Amino acid sequence: MFGQLIVSGLAVGACYALLALAMVIIYKTSEVLNFAQGEMAMVSTFITFTLLENYHVPFEWAVVLTFLFAIFLAIFFEIVFLRQAKDPTVIGLIIITLGFEMILMGFAGWKWGPDQRSLPFPVSNIEAYNVYGLIISKINFWTIVISLVLMFILFLFFRYTKLGIAMRATQQNQLAARVMGIRTKWILSFTWAISSMVGAVAGMLIAALGVLDPPMMMDPLLKGFASGVLGGMTSLPGTAVGGAMLGIIENLFGGYISLSFKSVVAFVIIVLMLCIRPSGLLARHYVKKV
Amino acid sequence: MLKRTLVVIGLMMTVFLIAAPTSAQKVRGVTDTEILIGQWGPQTGPAAPWGAVARGTDLLVKIINEEGGIHGRKFKYFLRDDSYQPAKTKAIAKEFVEQIGVFAVVGGVGVAPGMTARDYLMENKVPWCGPVTGVYEWITPIQKYLFAIYPLYDDEAFNLTGYLYEKLGFKKIAVFYQNDDYGKQGMMGVERYLLRHKIKLVEKISAEVTDRDLSTHALKLKNSGADAVIMWTMPTHGALILAETAKIGFKPQWATSNTLSDSALMMQITKGLWVGMINSFVGELPDSNHPLMVKYREWHKKLAPQERWGFFYYAGIIFAEPFFEGVRRAGKNLTPETWISAMETLKNWQGIGPPISYSKPNHPMDRQGGKHVFYGKVKPDGNIQRLTDWMQITK
Repeated sequence: MFGQLIVSGLAVGACYALLALAMVIIYKTSEVLNFAQGEMAMVSTFITFTLLENYHVPFEWAVVLTFLFAIFLAIFFEIVFLRQAKDPTVIGLIIITLGFEMILMGFAGWKWGPDQRSLPFPVSNIEAYNVYGLIISKINFWTIVISLVLMFILFLFFRYTKLGIAMRATQQNQLAARVMGIRTKWILSFTWAISSMVGAVAGMLIAALGVLDPPMMMDPLLKGFASGVLGGMTSLPGTAVGGAMLGIIENLFGGYISLSFKSVVAFVIIVLMLCIRPSGLLARHYVKKV
Repeated sequence: MLKRTLVVIGLMMTVFLIAAPTSAQKVRGVTDTEILIGQWGPQTGPAAPWGAVARGTDLLVKIINEEGGIHGRKFKYFLRDDSYQPAKTKAIAKEFVEQIGVFAVVGGVGVAPGMTARDYLMENKVPWCGPVTGVYEWITPIQKYLFAIYPLYDDEAFNLTGYLYEKLGFKKIAVFYQNDDYGKQGMMGVERYLLRHKIKLVEKISAEVTDRDLSTHALKLKNSGADAVIMWTMPTHGALILAETAKIGFKPQWATSNTLSDSALMMQITKGLWVGMINSFVGELPDSNHPLMVKYREWHKKLAPQERWGFFYYAGIIFAEPFFEGVRRAGKNLTPETWISAMETLKNWQGIGPPISYSKPNHPMDRQGGKHVFYGKVKPDGNIQRLTDWMQITK
C-alpha cells in the first residue's frame, strides 16, 4: 500500500504542479496571484470539449485551437481588465482576478450548463501500467511526463532566452526594464498567454482524469497554490517539487492517519510554510529594500 | 364636544373591529384567479446539476396552467437560484413570504439550505411540500405545515443493504459516502442494518464535497476486500471513485441511492463504468409507459425542449404532484388549513413517484409521504432492468 500511495501521490501531484506552474509564471513577472487561473483553464477545456463533441475536430487540432483560445482569453483579460486598473497595486490586481474568476464561472454555467461531462481523451483514464505490482494509469503516467517536459522547457526558456530574461527583468524592476528597452506591457501580455496555455493543459488533463464541469478546478487550484507556496512561488522546479510533495503527503496522510482530514493537509502546509519559510523550499528568500 | 368625539372614535373602532376579520380572511398568495408558489434550487455552483429539479417543477406548473389551472385558478411560479448556499436560501424564503407573498413553497433542494428556511417558514405558517432530500430533519420535530415526500435515506440504505446481503448474497459490504448530512444518513442506514444482523461493516470511507482526488479512497476500499460497496455521494464522486477503483482492478458490486439514478448522465460521465450498478429509484424510469410519464414527455417536448429528460429534471414533477393534488382536494376555498386537511386525506396516492400517504400529525411518520422505492440494474446500453416492484422501506 505504501508504494501505491506514493505513486498515486506523484500522479496527482503532477496536476497540482501544472497549475502551480501556471500561477508561478505570472507571479514571477508581475507578483500577481491569479485566482482566475482555474476558471481560465476550465473555460479553455470546455472549448476543447465543444470542438471535439460538436464540431468533431481531430484531437490534435482541438488542442491547438484551445491553445489559441487560451492565449486570446489571457491577453483579453490582461488588456481589458488588468491594464485598465487605475493606480494598480498588487492586491488590487489580485481582486480583479477574483472578479474575473466569478465572471468565467457564471459564463461557463450559462453556456455549457451545470451537468458534468466526460472529455474525450486519447489516453484512457482506466487502463494502467503495472510495474512490479505498482499500478499507474496511463493518463497519470502521461500527466507526469507532460508536467516534467513543460517545466523543463519553461525553465530553459526563462534561463537562456532573451525573452525569458526580459520577463524576469520585468518582474524585478518594471521601470528599469522599460528604460533598458524592454516593452514591458508586451511582456506582461506574453506572460499571461504562456500561463493560460499551461493552465489549459492542466485543465484538459484534470477533466480527462475525472469529469468536466464548471467547478472542476476549485479544488485543484487551491492545491496548486499550496504546491507553489511549498516549492516557492518564484521557482519553476519548486512547483514540481511542491506538487509532488503535496500529492505524496496528502496520500500518506489519507492512507495512514485520516481520510476525513486529507483535504485539510494542503492548507496546513500553506500556513506552516508561510510561517516558517515564506519563500518556499526552492526559492531564494527575497527581501525588498524600502 | 368631547362626548361627540368619543362617540365618533367609538364608532370608528367598532367599524374597524367588524371589518378586521374580513381582511384577515384574505389568504396569502391566493386570489380568485391565481395561486403563488415558490421554490429555490441551485442553478449555479457545484450543486447546479440538482437545480434541474426546480425547472422540472416549472414544467408541471405550465402543464397545469395549460390545462386550465385548478378550480379556476392558475399558478404563478417563482424560481430562485440559491447556489446551494444556505444564507441565500434564507433570504429567498424571506422574499417569498414578505415580498412576493407565496401561498406555499414546493420542493427545494438541499438539507443545509432547507434547514435555514424551515423554522422561518413554519413560524409564518407557510405550507411546504416535498423538500428534495430524504432526511429526518423534515419530520422531526413534526411540523404541521411541512409535508415530506422523499423516502428517507436511512431507510433506503437499510433496505438496499438488506437486498445486497439477503437477496444477492454479498457478505462483505463496505460503504463510500459523502461527509455531510446526506451521506451520513445513508451510511447510518447501512450500519443500522449490519448491526441489527450482527454483520461487520468491512470499511466505511468518506469523501469531502470538494475532493477531486479519490485514489487513496479507492485503495482503502480495495484493501478492505469488500465484495459489494454502497455509495452515497454526488454524481462527480460516483464517477471519480469508479474510475479510480477500475484503475487498480477493484471491481465489486456497486449499489447506490436514487440520487444517482440519472443513468444517462452517469453512463456518460463514467464512460460506461456505470453498467451493472444496482440503483434504487423513487420515480418511474425515463422511458416508462406509465400514462402520466407519456403525457409529461409530450408536454416536455412542447414546453421545454431545451431541457434534458433525465431523472433530476422530472424529479421536479415527482416532488410537486402531491402539492397540486392537495390543492385539487382542498376545493375552491383554499387556505393553508383546508390544504393541510386535504393533504391528510392522501392514502397511497400515486403520480409518477412513490405512493404517498399522510395522516393527522401525531407521529413523525404521519408527515413522511414517500415510503417506497424500487430497485433496478443498469444494462450495458444504459437502460434500466427493473429488479423489483415498489417496495415499502419505511415501516
